[in-house]
Amino acid sequence: MKTFAPLLHSYWYLFRGAGMTLLMASAAVVPATLLGVLLALVQVFGRRAARSAVLAYLFIMRGIPLLVLLTFVYYLLPLTGIDLPPFWGVVLVLAFYYAAFMSEAFRAGILSLPQAQWDAAKSLGMPRYLMLRIVIFPQALRLAAPPFISLCVNLVKATSLVSIVGLWELTMASREVVERTLAPFQIFLGAAFLYFCICYALALYGKYLERRALVGH
Amino acid sequence: MPFDLNFLIRLIPALLEGAEVTVELAVLTMLICVVWGLVVALAQATPGPLSWIAGGYIQVVRNTPLLVQMYLVYFGLSMIGMGLSGFASGLLALCIQNGGYMAEIYRGGLQSISLRQYEAGRALGMRRWTLYTSVIMPQVVARVIPPLTNQAISITKDTAQVAAIAVMDIMKVAQVWVESSANTYDVFLGAGLIYLCLTTVISLGGRIAERRLAFAS
Repeated sequence: MKTFAPLLHSYWYLFRGAGMTLLMASAAVVPATLLGVLLALVQVFGRRAARSAVLAYLFIMRGIPLLVLLTFVYYLLPLTGIDLPPFWGVVLVLAFYYAAFMSEAFRAGILSLPQAQWDAAKSLGMPRYLMLRIVIFPQALRLAAPPFISLCVNLVKATSLVSIVGLWELTMASREVVERTLAPFQIFLGAAFLYFCICYALALYGKYLERRALVGH
Repeated sequence: MPFDLNFLIRLIPALLEGAEVTVELAVLTMLICVVWGLVVALAQATPGPLSWIAGGYIQVVRNTPLLVQMYLVYFGLSMIGMGLSGFASGLLALCIQNGGYMAEIYRGGLQSISLRQYEAGRALGMRRWTLYTSVIMPQVVARVIPPLTNQAISITKDTAQVAAIAVMDIMKVAQVWVESSANTYDVFLGAGLIYLCLTTVISLGGRIAERRLAFAS
């Protein structure tokens, strides 16, 4: 047990770091979801020019590593003179990055509905907004929920990258503890365990949603 | 000043040198994980304790951040006297994490093969080995090409995180150049474009492979 003494001494600090990780991930997931839905709608229903713009956005976000974008914004913000706290800077980058992936999940959800659903709604004489609201979206969201949750898991894991640009969260907290205790193995194992608790809980919820989405198919 | 031509002429060779490291890491990770992921997937499909171990491995590596895994390997192993170089630690962490993702991809592919394929093979008197190598796996390979392509893209982007353990990949070169020249725009434009080229090449390659391997199924 003595080997793990450094971890037992500093577990509270790591817990606080995990709290910050959760806060950062929750702050990013809301705008990411909203933007993701918007991008998916434009891609499915938008005009040609708007669709091409969204495709270009997706191409860039899916082709460049998140770390490059984070570092870019980290060096860029002071240059532009925008007075944005670093916390909100990285939250915005995370949101813009994950919105691209979320839009794919939502788009796949909408497009995987059978044509019969659209036809049935139209044959009942539903106006377009009603058709989307009570026929298409509820089903599409149910289909998109499992990949959405697994993206949330990725988002939580991705918050660890902000430690590289100097923000304080779980990974940064564990690096600080390691510098003090010189016990990298135990401390990073502890940090990994905390990440695992958060992400596995989310993943289990995703599995549950997946099972529920299959009911009635 | 952005878009300084003289600066770009000096910058690009340095970034390309970093790109060499990035490509090496990505290709090695991909090659190792294609095999390692299959081993894990087959272990998970075999009933018994091996299946539990493989399942646990997949959950643990998928639900903890790559960066923490890298720190664990890089700093943790050197603490117990088995220190690896930055490159080797990064490669090991990339393989550990992506092996879990690859195993899930193979599992999906294996599950999508209908039971009748197995029955038909057995009815023809095929041995287990022949059944797998000439009936099951060719179909699995064809089905996993699109998700494998996505994984290859995500691996390439994930390699940027080795910059955190002092490996001179594209990301680290970009960081060094930004800090010495303060020419944020040019450096990140260059780095971003190289990453975009790499990921585009992978997705084109994936699409070609997909077309080549498409069966009349």
